[in-house]
Amino acid sequence: MATPVIMPRQGQSVESCILAKWAKKVGDTVAVGDLLFSYETDKAGFEEEAKVAGTLLATFFEEGDDVPCLVNVCVIGEAGEDAAAFAPDGTAAAPAAEAAPAAEAPKADAPVAAVAAAPKENVFASPRARAAADRAGVDIRLAAATGPNGRVIERDVDALRAAVGRLPKHEEVPVAAEAPKAEAAVPAAAFEDVKVPNIRKVIAKTMHASLSEMAQLTYNTSFDATGLLSYRAKIKASMERLGLENITLNDLILFVVSRTLMMPEHKDLNANFLGGDTIRYFKNVNLGVAVDTPRGLMVPTIFDANLKSLNEICAEVKSLAKLCKGCAINPDLLKGGSFTVSNLGSLGIESFTPVINPPQTAILGVDTISPKVRAAKDGSIELYQSMGLSLTCDHRVIDGTPAAKFLKDLVINLENFEVLLAR
Amino acid sequence: MPKSQFVDPNILRSPGFISFTDIPVNQYKKTIADERANYTDEQLMNVYADMVFCREYETMINLIKTTSEYNGVAYSHPGPAHLSMGQEASAVGQALVLDTDDYSFGSHRSHGEVLSRGLSAIRKLPNDRLLEIMKTYNDGVIYKIIEKEFKNVTDTKLFATYFFLYGAMAEMFARETGFQKGLGGSMHAFFTPFGIYPNNAIVGGSADIAVGAALYKRINRQPGIVIANIGDGALGCGPVWEALCMATMDQYKQLWEGDMKGGLPFLFNIFNNQYGMGGQTRGETMGYDFPARLGAGITPNQMLSERVDGYNPLAVADATLRQKQAILERRGPAMLDVVTYRFAGHSPSDSSSYREKAEVEAWQEHDPLLTYRKALIEAGLAKDSKFEDILAKTKDELTHILKIATDVEISPRMNLIANPNQIGDLMFSNQKIAAMRDAQPDVLGPKESSPRVQQIAKKERFGIGADGKPVSKNKVFNIRDGIFESIIDKYYEDPTLISYGEDVRDWGGAFAVYRGLTEVIPYHRLFNSPISEGAIVGAATGYAMAGGRVIGEIMYCDFLGRCGDELFNQLPKWQAMSAGSLTMPVVIRVSVGSKYGAQHSQDWTSLCGHIPGLKVCFPATPYDAKGLMASALEGTDPVIFFESQRIYDMGELFHEGGVPTEKYYIEIGEPDVKRVGKDVTILSIGSTLYRAVKAADMLKEKYNLEAELIDARSINPFNYDKVIESVKKTGRILLTSDACERVSFLKDMAQSISELAFDYLDAPPVVVGARNWITPAHEIEDFFFPQPEWMLDAINEKILPLPGHVATANFTANEQLRRAREGV
Repeated sequence: MATPVIMPRQGQSVESCILAKWAKKVGDTVAVGDLLFSYETDKAGFEEEAKVAGTLLATFFEEGDDVPCLVNVCVIGEAGEDAAAFAPDGTAAAPAAEAAPAAEAPKADAPVAAVAAAPKENVFASPRARAAADRAGVDIRLAAATGPNGRVIERDVDALRAAVGRLPKHEEVPVAAEAPKAEAAVPAAAFEDVKVPNIRKVIAKTMHASLSEMAQLTYNTSFDATGLLSYRAKIKASMERLGLENITLNDLILFVVSRTLMMPEHKDLNANFLGGDTIRYFKNVNLGVAVDTPRGLMVPTIFDANLKSLNEICAEVKSLAKLCKGCAINPDLLKGGSFTVSNLGSLGIESFTPVINPPQTAILGVDTISPKVRAAKDGSIELYQSMGLSLTCDHRVIDGTPAAKFLKDLVINLENFEVLLAR
Repeated sequence: MPKSQFVDPNILRSPGFISFTDIPVNQYKKTIADERANYTDEQLMNVYADMVFCREYETMINLIKTTSEYNGVAYSHPGPAHLSMGQEASAVGQALVLDTDDYSFGSHRSHGEVLSRGLSAIRKLPNDRLLEIMKTYNDGVIYKIIEKEFKNVTDTKLFATYFFLYGAMAEMFARETGFQKGLGGSMHAFFTPFGIYPNNAIVGGSADIAVGAALYKRINRQPGIVIANIGDGALGCGPVWEALCMATMDQYKQLWEGDMKGGLPFLFNIFNNQYGMGGQTRGETMGYDFPARLGAGITPNQMLSERVDGYNPLAVADATLRQKQAILERRGPAMLDVVTYRFAGHSPSDSSSYREKAEVEAWQEHDPLLTYRKALIEAGLAKDSKFEDILAKTKDELTHILKIATDVEISPRMNLIANPNQIGDLMFSNQKIAAMRDAQPDVLGPKESSPRVQQIAKKERFGIGADGKPVSKNKVFNIRDGIFESIIDKYYEDPTLISYGEDVRDWGGAFAVYRGLTEVIPYHRLFNSPISEGAIVGAATGYAMAGGRVIGEIMYCDFLGRCGDELFNQLPKWQAMSAGSLTMPVVIRVSVGSKYGAQHSQDWTSLCGHIPGLKVCFPATPYDAKGLMASALEGTDPVIFFESQRIYDMGELFHEGGVPTEKYYIEIGEPDVKRVGKDVTILSIGSTLYRAVKAADMLKEKYNLEAELIDARSINPFNYDKVIESVKKTGRILLTSDACERVSFLKDMAQSISELAFDYLDAPPVVVGARNWITPAHEIEDFFFPQPEWMLDAINEKILPLPGHVATANFTANEQLRRAREGV
């Protein structure tokens, strides 16, 4: 009996996924556990394995298609069976015997295209509000929704406009259109045009929006890492005896950051600026951790990090990073952060300007450790291990002094790490 | 009701017996020889020729339906064909003694009646009149076709026969060249210049309509009688009983005065073919034995009821003529039970599972085409071969007409590609005619002598006094006054205007709208009807078909169910089904109740809004009520005029300067902005306007929001311009009426607004109607009908959250889903 394979729903907020790559083609024999296709959301990639054995009878989408969740993607069954009934739009799919069946199916599937055109970020707004935002040139996603059911209505756009003034309208940069003309003379063999994966598109859009919409600036400082280093050495020595994780310097920093952010005077950094007149303050710290993956930057969230022990934080970071690298992260874990830490220290970076992950208000960059000299109490010169910190803040929310004060408190906490453990 | 009639207990309690006179059954005994004293030989031969004509016409249709061919002409007809083969003697006998002044209404099985009346009329009308009719009917379209096709025919009667046959046949085949441009079809062919009025595909549908035409003849002093030709199967229909009651009211003889006095010119003629479809009336589905018995249950003179042998055309002619004479002597209405039988099935799908072949064969032995022919031969009128000639000639004529009636070049159907609005343009006649006839209106005295007119003269015509306070109810010109003024004006302008309904005369209508009319309007123009809502609307339809203007009153909206067919099938459809040859200047006043529980408090405006062909309005202020009634009464279309019992005594609060004393018109279909605002639009239908005013006041006081109030005033037609303009401004709209919310007309409006103003909407249009329940007792009605608080609740929940608002009613999505899920 023919069995359809649906596009799984990965997380409650996911409406559709991009079909990244087919591992099988129509007519191929499929065994249970064989990879059928890989797919990705805005933020994560996944693989779909066959749960039944048989022949791949029909595919309804092509690579690159945006497929609504729970819709049939392909059909497995015995060779010769009719799979047409499973076609998402009810029309017959090309039979397995034909050479290029996949080329037909998506074209016939107009409704899928309509779904893909829907906004990705789930902004519910009235038509009037959308028209008003369009006229005013403001980004409706930044409006604080006060309408029924969290809908952005006209007054929200008015409020947003009043708050931010006329912001530049998002327009797609026509790079792609320019490129072929400029490089027309270059021999075709000299380059390769590759379609960027969806995750790259999202990163591009988010980062560009971040820098174009916020007033970002970066504050640099450093601290004496001697204490941290010796504490880590102690843990390492007792790791097996106490059953502890392999706690890294980064874990220690995350721990200290999560505690420092809980100080009431630094609540502006543990926040989301929703645009208009609204700032969302978080009661706990949802700490975003930048993770480099082969597919690009991902930022999973450690929810309630301030309530978690060092060991718990360490374990969670490892698990999240693994999920990200393995393309198996639940998209719901890639959202909801209140502050982000990005660590480039292990790659020897001495200072950088991290880019804020909107709608957060700040991000902490962690730099490398290097020896520094300073005057000791007795007047002699001493050498110590110094670690750099680069804090980027959105000046629309956080002025220079509070940013500097946060860095100061953070440095104190990092240098007096053991005291924090008393809490 | 009338004070002149004393309800005397001494008489009513006296013992005695009701006696009946014998009802004649097939008592006709004359021979052809006897009838030669009454008819010429030519007439007697024509009776045979006409029967052949009817029989052959239907044979043709039967062959087309069953073999797609007649006499070498191939044609396929997908439409209905209810044949009357076997009944020709009844139709031809009746037509023999009718004139074009006599109006007949028929049923779905009336081909034979139409043809025989047509042939009879052609013989009776002078040639110049015939030519005039043919040249002017439908701008001479049929005339030109026949002129071109039959160049050599110089005999006007023969030409007219082809004209008539062609018009009927082209109509049956849905050609634009048919009598009703193909919009009537087989069951509805008619031709009023010959006195042939609409046949009706609803069983019994013609009964009450014909009563209305009879009223028209009497009240407007027109010659002739009106006949309702209906089948025995129709005798089980309630509206037929209502028609009999309304046709035979005592008041015609006892209360109508002068030349109006006497029984209505109405003949209730039953073509009794023994079956209602397949149900055998005598012996199975009815209990009357012979329908002729019914007359004895209706009036003391038993409606002069007789049972006649319908298989003898001269017996039918004899009885019809006697009844017609009695009717003209004002002894009617009369009744005939014409015994007949159809050989053909009810329709082509009839397998005659309900009767034996032997039964049909037995009747075929009595076939008038055989027996009457034999009688003519025996009487020496013609040789047998003559009859074969008649049949052959008829076949040739039918074949020729069939060829041109089915030729799409000569007889095209309506081209809805070239003229996409052609049917739409026929739904309403949209004329403005002050008086339907040119005559002096019958009145009892000058308008000013009405005590009501005198009382109104002392009233304040604006509802707010100079002191800024509302004028007291007794002193303010109110909604019922507004309606009254337009009606009394029209009474003095249009001599055909009549008004009737339950308790409209001395009582002045249950809600006193007509108070003060009984003093100045004679009985025959303002009268009480039986409690027969079906006949009230049906007779209005017939009165208008015959050429008059009429106001019918339905006392409570809830009673509309009692006139469902008349309101939804008859009144709205005949203008378009006649392709515009009939107009329908009918106003049905309907009072919408409250306080009176589940069966007296419903707002059924939406039902009327759904029906194509009705204009529907529901004014809520005296100014609008007067102006809309003036338009309704000036127009030529059926208008269902809703009035709310909640607000009859409401003064004018909106229109600056109050209600003018002179006549003015408010176009039906134009909503009115009652208050200007910028934040949210509230569109109301009917009396919810005043609750919307209250809601608007609360929005202003509590939330500083300015509501724009629009009173729909009309439901159909409806011009959305002002509403869309308002929504473009406010971006928000709430709609409210007292109709139960499910499938309420408001939902239709909300949908239209969503489409027309989508890009301007800041929230979906929100409907606040009554609950989908029975209307409860007055004391707890506020939980059923929309309240001002509900409007704020709905705005808060679905349109614009109101800071600190505390809801009284539940407008959440979950509740909406629950109600839908549970169907309440």
